[in-house]
Amino acid sequence: MKIVTLLVMAIWAGAGTAVVGAAGPAGAHRAIVLPSVVEGWMWDGKELRYDPRTVFDYIDGAGEFFLAYGFRRLAVHRFEKPGQPPLTLECYDMGSSEGAYGVFSFERQEASAGIGQGSEFGGGLLRFWKGRYFVSIFADGEGAEAESAILQLGRQTVEAIRETGRLPSLVGLIPGADAGLVETSVRYVTSHILLNQRLFIAHENILGLTRQTGAVLAQYGRDAGKAHLLLVRYPTGTAAGAAYRRFLTVYLADAGERDRLKTNDQRWTIARQQHSFVVVVFGAPTEEVGDALLAATERALRGVR
Amino acid sequence: MKTRHVTRRDFLRLAAGTTVAAGLGAGIARDACAEAVAKVVLVRHAEAVGAQGQTNGEILQAMLDEAVKTLLGTREPVDAWRMLVKPSNVVGIKSNVWARLPTPRDLEAAIRRRVLEAGVAEKNLDIDDRGVLRNPVFRNATAVVNVRPLRTHHWAGVATCLKNYIPFVPDPPSYHPDGCAALGRIWTLPIVKNKPRLNVLSALTPQFYGRGAHFFDRRYVWPYKGLIVGTDPVAVDTVGAHLLQVKRIAFFGEDRALDVTPHHIQVADKEYHLGVSDLKRIEVIRLGWSDGVLI
Repeated sequence: MKIVTLLVMAIWAGAGTAVVGAAGPAGAHRAIVLPSVVEGWMWDGKELRYDPRTVFDYIDGAGEFFLAYGFRRLAVHRFEKPGQPPLTLECYDMGSSEGAYGVFSFERQEASAGIGQGSEFGGGLLRFWKGRYFVSIFADGEGAEAESAILQLGRQTVEAIRETGRLPSLVGLIPGADAGLVETSVRYVTSHILLNQRLFIAHENILGLTRQTGAVLAQYGRDAGKAHLLLVRYPTGTAAGAAYRRFLTVYLADAGERDRLKTNDQRWTIARQQHSFVVVVFGAPTEEVGDALLAATERALRGVR
Repeated sequence: MKTRHVTRRDFLRLAAGTTVAAGLGAGIARDACAEAVAKVVLVRHAEAVGAQGQTNGEILQAMLDEAVKTLLGTREPVDAWRMLVKPSNVVGIKSNVWARLPTPRDLEAAIRRRVLEAGVAEKNLDIDDRGVLRNPVFRNATAVVNVRPLRTHHWAGVATCLKNYIPFVPDPPSYHPDGCAALGRIWTLPIVKNKPRLNVLSALTPQFYGRGAHFFDRRYVWPYKGLIVGTDPVAVDTVGAHLLQVKRIAFFGEDRALDVTPHHIQVADKEYHLGVSDLKRIEVIRLGWSDGVLI
């Protein structure tokens, strides 16, 4: 029987009530209609739903990673095909495109798969984001057929998500490839715990990162020539100034009045405040490299508050 | 009072002033030595896991039996289990149900079989994971056997035996700060304290690398076909974390960093005194298949 029924994921509908194609007022959610079959894999008809309270039941006690990016709802669909490993589709409503991008960026390490607004595919796992949604699709086994179906399911899901979203504006303010940016290293983080997982700075939240202070971490150059750039935007210049001074006091305590220091690994850390931004270069191989990266960032920040 | 902040620079100073051989990279004492204070058995079998990932129950039973006999110095497995549990005990087998890499049912069954043979009544024995706080056997347990797979973990660095008790607390996220450093505290809570009898870390198909909260990638899972068994959870976890580290180095050509370091294991030793985290003070007894043993 040809399956033509389109199934409505109700994760955004609340309390189990599906909303079909409802383009509601600002802030309201729009339903996503998913295909029930892809390359012979058929949805088993069950939808697992999770919210911020129950997501820990699904994600092995680590749901707070998603919560840190504003997680709202998760729907999980499973697809089966005889003789093939089952596929699992996880669709996370992150509440904002910043959150969706943040989750995607935090774990990205592969080249783009050309799906959605940002994607990667490797090891049988497809991850992408579009609009406010972060999606992961994977197979419980290996095989070329399964991999093809994963990618096709991803493309069809992208089509089902009508909306697009904007990147966090901070991401557009860091120097690009001409400065040596490693594209897959760009992480948008919303807490010092997340930042520490990608580049340990300090156990305490010395830079005062919160959901209201977006931050971007990125690597420039590779191997011995690499350095990390951290760009943080605060709600006000006053808040940025306080964070900057705290960083100088705690991290560069022995730098005297200077904004820079050669640390024990013989690499340079340089910090700067500009309006409501704080910029820090960690681990520059030379002072000149650090200054150049800082200067390129400051140029991008001119006129931005 | 001035606050002491721990920053990246402290680690840079440490790296500059010491050899990298400290901590997990130090290597295991190859033979029993006078300083060894914890014993861990690593048992492997080439046929423990099939090509499609299916486990062989009979072989797992034999591996478990050999490990427990060797650990406790008995001739028969049931004698070893009688040293671990008494017929009067109420026994919870704390397993792990994470869908991508759960504790193999065959391994749960092997433990259950021996606990029953040791004389524990069937009504006083149960296997559970996330429901332990609601499970009457676990709520009334007088002994707990801990069994779970070995893998990396987003918040704790590695998911091993120490972390497997997190369902015993009503608010697991409260243990997530600082790389789950305080996981050892759970083992001091009344629901657990003095009850652990044995730790079985399934290294049948460990995951040695991963990213993110819900990450599973078959590229980073390999058929090691081993069990790491001991009564000291810290020692068992230390050996398990070391195995994953050595595998990462072999696979990537470097010790590719995990999301967080598994320092909760050292904290469990130094702060909660639950066991030994210094590899040089752990005697690892290797049994069985030796191809690709790595450690």
